Amino acid sequence: MIDSFYLAARYLLHHPGRSLLVVACLVLVAGLPISLDRILSESERQLTARADATPMLIGSKGSALDLVMGAVYFGGQAPEAISLAEIEAIEASGLAYGIPLHTGFTARGAPIVGTSVDYFEFRGLAIAEGKSLATLGECVIGAGVADRLEIGPGDTLVSAPESPFDLAGVYPLKMRVAGVLAPSGSADDLAVFVDVKTAWVIQGLGHGHQDLTAVDDPSLVVSRDDGRVVASAKVVEYQEITAANQDSFHFHGESSTYPLTAALLVPEDERAGTLLLGRYVAGDQDFQIVRPRAVIGDLLATIFRVKEILDGAVAIVSVAAVLALALVFSLSFRLRERELDTNFELGASRSTTARLLTAELILLAGSSALIVGMALWLLDRYAPAIVRTLLVG
Amino acid sequence: MRIPARLTLAFLSLLLAAGSPAVADEPVLVYTVNYPLAYFAQRIGGDSVRVVFPAPPDVDPAFWQPDPDTIRTYQTADIVLLNGADYAKWVSSASLPRRRLVDTSRAVAERIVETGAGVVHSHGPGGESHGHTGTAFTLWLDPTLAMAQTAAIESALTRARPSSATAFESGRVALDADLAALDGSFQRAFASLGDEPLLASHPVYQYLQRRYDLTIDALLWEPDVTPDEDDWRDLDALADAGGARWMLWEDEPTAATRSGLAERGIGVVVVRPLGNRPGDGDYLDGMRANVAAIERAAAGE
Repeated sequence: MIDSFYLAARYLLHHPGRSLLVVACLVLVAGLPISLDRILSESERQLTARADATPMLIGSKGSALDLVMGAVYFGGQAPEAISLAEIEAIEASGLAYGIPLHTGFTARGAPIVGTSVDYFEFRGLAIAEGKSLATLGECVIGAGVADRLEIGPGDTLVSAPESPFDLAGVYPLKMRVAGVLAPSGSADDLAVFVDVKTAWVIQGLGHGHQDLTAVDDPSLVVSRDDGRVVASAKVVEYQEITAANQDSFHFHGESSTYPLTAALLVPEDERAGTLLLGRYVAGDQDFQIVRPRAVIGDLLATIFRVKEILDGAVAIVSVAAVLALALVFSLSFRLRERELDTNFELGASRSTTARLLTAELILLAGSSALIVGMALWLLDRYAPAIVRTLLVG
Repeated sequence: MRIPARLTLAFLSLLLAAGSPAVADEPVLVYTVNYPLAYFAQRIGGDSVRVVFPAPPDVDPAFWQPDPDTIRTYQTADIVLLNGADYAKWVSSASLPRRRLVDTSRAVAERIVETGAGVVHSHGPGGESHGHTGTAFTLWLDPTLAMAQTAAIESALTRARPSSATAFESGRVALDADLAALDGSFQRAFASLGDEPLLASHPVYQYLQRRYDLTIDALLWEPDVTPDEDDWRDLDALADAGGARWMLWEDEPTAATRSGLAERGIGVVVVRPLGNRPGDGDYLDGMRANVAAIERAAAGE
């Protein structure tokens, strides 16, 4: 049999183009469906891992998928806002604590996420360089942002003036980079994190300016009477929060009315989570509470139903490809009739000829299997990074 | 085969070590925004807590601005005790862990005194107003409000360390007993001072005023600054209108101020707000010293 494999190998090497073509067909037919399945499985794993790590979300009523994509993956259109009061009411019930999220603004293409320092502890995010957030005007950036923009602690980052909340735009805020997060392989790598109060400053709900009770320029003041000064539009608001002007920053109105995109809700325990859902799910509130795992599960179920149809199509195409290859081999043997007759006249029996042809098929199939195996091994090794890049950008 | 005695002993020691109680829990790390809360937390928590109040001793914690690194140390706390009533302005611009913040006056929010003082501003005639004063924050001067704060502290400590609930309750009960005794002392002391209105160097005694049914007209004088003629005119207007005989001070005024007040028949009573650590003793010592100062004034000393 060794002799048969030797002769088969010499034959295949003598026709490299034809041999490579057959091997390529076999690799594609066998390897493509398996590779796609592995990529999809890894995508499902990563999507559900992030959703599993988020017990509950509260946001405005509407598309649950938009809420989850915005709050968990920082993608998509920012949904309608809810107010901080909703979170405070839930916290007062003792059933859960909330981690505020404010999205919608960007800085050099990266989403700005306004939150509290509880977020980093909840997600297990550590500071790799620099320090954590401490005061208004500071930001902490994901590892991907730091790499892409080539910035680090001590640098500054300016928010984009475009605003989903105001068609006229908002004044940009120059933020100081306090720290860079360690890579997490999630959407957090590509975000810029600020305290939610800084996000409100970006939105224009808070600002700093000179003390209006002590100005000399009359054009800065519309009216002044006992106890109340009305400022004119000429008053310049600071575009950067520094140690020198930080005390001047303030917010107008009650903070409980301030907007949030959503909030992560962390129930005290499973029972508290169930009570929370039961208390709020059927009400007439303007907000909804969702479990991201269920929302992503529904999305994946839809995707995988489509995948099943595609799998069926791929299977049919694969069968057709195999049949076509079988036809090619059959025609090839017919074309080689003279060669095979020569073998017979040289003294090779029919069984020997059969062994030669079988050896060729085994070598072709074996080479394909080896290549598919190596490709799958590489895919298994790099699939998490490939999928992260596809999902996160 | 005989087992060597040393081996037996070693084996028995291992058995005992495995069965012995676990190493004691780390103390609950508590950060506070003023000294009274630190005192309350330490009295209630005892050895189960490590209390940190990082403000320097020579600043008023209400207006202290910690640097970013100090704010980051607050982030490491298991519990951050806030006074409420807009105390510690720095909190509104700092990044603190919301989950671990405890507003110790939340349960008595309806009893917080609105001062209504100061100038507000708005942007445009229809804009919402913002003012730089608005609430009185020296809640700890009223022992009954201080007891509401101790209840909030006990509750927070118990959530953080349920196994020490009994000890925390005992600590709080003992502290509340001291606060109740203090309340009685203040009642008697102020009663002996008479019914005439009082003057105050600063508007920081609103909760004493309400608790003990006092009438207090406050100025904006500093203990280390001698008033000028305009200041004396303002005082004269208030004193003449009310017939005040005593003026409450946050600290010892200058000799010239004392002399000026004495000429007007107004005595000095030092009632320290105790927002920061007192020079000697603790919060209770400081409050008892305040009572003693009132009693001495009433006795004509």
